[in-house]
Amino acid sequence: MAYRILIVDDEPALQSMVQEILRQAGYGTDAALSCTQALERFHAAAPDAVLLDVMLPDGDGFSLFGKLREIRDVPVLFLSARDEDEARLRGLGLGADDYITKPFLPQELLLRLGAVLRRVYREENYRVRLGETEIDWGKGAVRRGGQETALTAKEFALLRKLWEARGNIVTIDALCSALWDGPLVGYENTLMVHIRRLREKVEADPSHPQFLLTVRGLGYRLRREGTA
Amino acid sequence: MKLRSLLKGAMLVTVSALLIAVVALLGLIAFVYYNSNGGRDWNTPMEELSDALVWDGTAYTFAGDALLEEGRWAMLLSQEGQVVWSFRKPEDVPEQYTVSDVASFTRWYLSDYPVQSWVREDGLLVVGSPKGSIWKHDIAMNTEALLQTPIWFLAFFLLALGSVLGLAWLAVGRWFRQDQQVRDAARSNWINGVSHDIRTPLSVVMGYAAQLEEAPDLTPEHRRQASAIRTQSQVIRDLVNDLNLTMRLDCEMQALRKEPIQPAVFLRQAAADFLNGGMGAGFDFEMDLPETPLPEIEADPFLLRRAVNNLLTNCVRHNAPGCSICLGARAAGKELILWIEGGTAAGKLQPDSSRPLESDGGAAHGTGLRLVAQIAAAHGGKAEFHSGTPYRCELRLPAKG
Repeated sequence: MAYRILIVDDEPALQSMVQEILRQAGYGTDAALSCTQALERFHAAAPDAVLLDVMLPDGDGFSLFGKLREIRDVPVLFLSARDEDEARLRGLGLGADDYITKPFLPQELLLRLGAVLRRVYREENYRVRLGETEIDWGKGAVRRGGQETALTAKEFALLRKLWEARGNIVTIDALCSALWDGPLVGYENTLMVHIRRLREKVEADPSHPQFLLTVRGLGYRLRREGTA
Repeated sequence: MKLRSLLKGAMLVTVSALLIAVVALLGLIAFVYYNSNGGRDWNTPMEELSDALVWDGTAYTFAGDALLEEGRWAMLLSQEGQVVWSFRKPEDVPEQYTVSDVASFTRWYLSDYPVQSWVREDGLLVVGSPKGSIWKHDIAMNTEALLQTPIWFLAFFLLALGSVLGLAWLAVGRWFRQDQQVRDAARSNWINGVSHDIRTPLSVVMGYAAQLEEAPDLTPEHRRQASAIRTQSQVIRDLVNDLNLTMRLDCEMQALRKEPIQPAVFLRQAAADFLNGGMGAGFDFEMDLPETPLPEIEADPFLLRRAVNNLLTNCVRHNAPGCSICLGARAAGKELILWIEGGTAAGKLQPDSSRPLESDGGAAHGTGLRLVAQIAAAHGGKAEFHSGTPYRCELRLPAKG
C-alpha cells in the first residue's frame, strides 16, 4: 500500500529533496511551506503521516502538531534543525511518533518513517520466509520440509523481536527484557537455551546457523538476506 | 584569561580601598597634629609665660601680655595655695586653693575654665582660657599595653586588609560571573543559531549525495566522489553537533538528566547501535565485560552514549578496516572504568600527520575528544587518553552508592 506523506517545511530545497526520496521509495507526497498551507493540505489530501518542521514562518511546529491531532490522529514525525534536549523532549512529550534531527541521511529517514508506519498501521505479513523455513506468525509455527512445528510462547516472542529488528543486532538485555519484562541479570543462560531450541526449529543445521546468528559479547541477529 | 581578569579586578578594588584608607589616616593625623601641635597656642607658651613673670624683690613684673591672647588669663599660686599674682583673672575664680583643688584643676577644669599649670620655684603658674574653648581629656595607659600597641596596630591593619581583600574578591567575582554568564549565553546562542542554519542546507547536501551514490548509471569514479561528499557532510554534521554540545557544557547550559545505568546493558546497546548503523563494517569488534556484575552508575544516558559513540567513531575514522576495536568496562574501587581500545587512534587528540588521511574523514576533530573529556567531567569523572599501541581511552566515572 502506498502511504501518502505530508511534508511541512519552509525550506523549498529540503522539501523537494525529501519529496524525491519518498517518491523513489514508493510513497505519495504532498507539501506545505507554512502552518496555514499545512492545515489546508491536511484537510484536502488526508495524508497517512506528516513530516513536520519545528520552525515555520507563521507559527511553530509544536502548535501545528496539536491542531493536526485535533483534526485526525495520524502519525507525526518532527524533522527539525533544533537538536537541544528541550526541543526533542517537548516534541516527543507532546506525543509525536519520532523526532529526527537535521541533517539526516535518506536511509535514516526512510527507516524511521517505515518503522512508525508499520507500528501505527500494523502492517502485518503473516507468513515470512527464512531460507527454507516458513514462519507463520498467525499460527505461531514454523514449517520446514513439509513439517510444521509449533513455537512456544517464549520462542515466538524471541523470533518476533529478532525479526522486527530487520537484520540488526538485538542485545541479550533487549531480548531478556522482551521475554521477561525488564532487563534481568542471570537470565542469559535461559536465553541461550531458548535460542538453541529456536535454532533447532528454524535452521537446517543448528550447529552452523545461517540465519539466527550470535554476535559475541553483544547479542543475536536474524539475518534477513534470502528472506521474504 | 578568566583568572587574570579576576585578579586584575580584585587588585584594583584593593588598591583603591588602601588608597582611601591611607589618605583618611594621613588626613586625621595631620588634623590632630595641626590642632594640638604640642600646643602652638596652648602648651608651648607656658614656659615663655613663666619666664615673662619675674619677681624683682618687691613685686612681680609681667612682660608676656602679647603671649596671652584675648580672653586668656593667668595667676600665680604660692606654695600655700594663695593667689599672689594675677593677670585678667575672672571674678568667679577663687583666691585660695587647697591641695585637692589643685589636684582637680590641673587634671580637669577650674570653675569650668580650661587651665594649664607650670611649676615654678615660687609656686604654681596657672593660665586659663575662656570657658568651652578647650577640650581636655586625661589619658593614662598601662606601659605594657603601650609597648604592645605596634603589634595590635599591625594585627588590626592585617585584619582590615584581609576583610577588604575578601570583600573585593567576592564583589569582583560576582560581577565577573554575571558578566561571564551574559557573554556565555550570547556565545552559546550564536553557535546554536549558526549550527541551526547549517543543518538544513547540510540535509540537502547529504540527501542528494546519498541518492547520487545509489544511482545505477554512475561511473565508479563519480560514485566515489558522491560517497566522499556524503561522508564529509557527515563529518561536518558531527562537528556541528559536537561544537554545539561542547559549548553548552562549557557554559553550563546543558542540564544533566541523570538516571541509574547498568554499564553492561548500556555498553552492549551502544555497541549494537554502532554496529547496526554500519559504522563498524570491516572492523573486528570485541566486547570485554567481566563475569561479575558491574556497579551501577548515575549518568545522563544521552551524553554518555555520545561520548562512547565519539570514541568508537574516532577509532573507525583513524584505522583501516581489519583493525580490532575493543569496548569494555571494569570496576576499580569506587569507580567504573569504561574503556575503548583501537588499533591506532582512540585517544589521539591530533591526527597523525605522517599517516595518509582517509577519504571519509581523517579530518578527525579534536572537538569530539574534547567533548568526551567534558562529558566525563560533567559526571564527576575524567577521561584519560593513553597513547601507545594500541591507543586506549578510559572514562573513569564514579560508581553509585
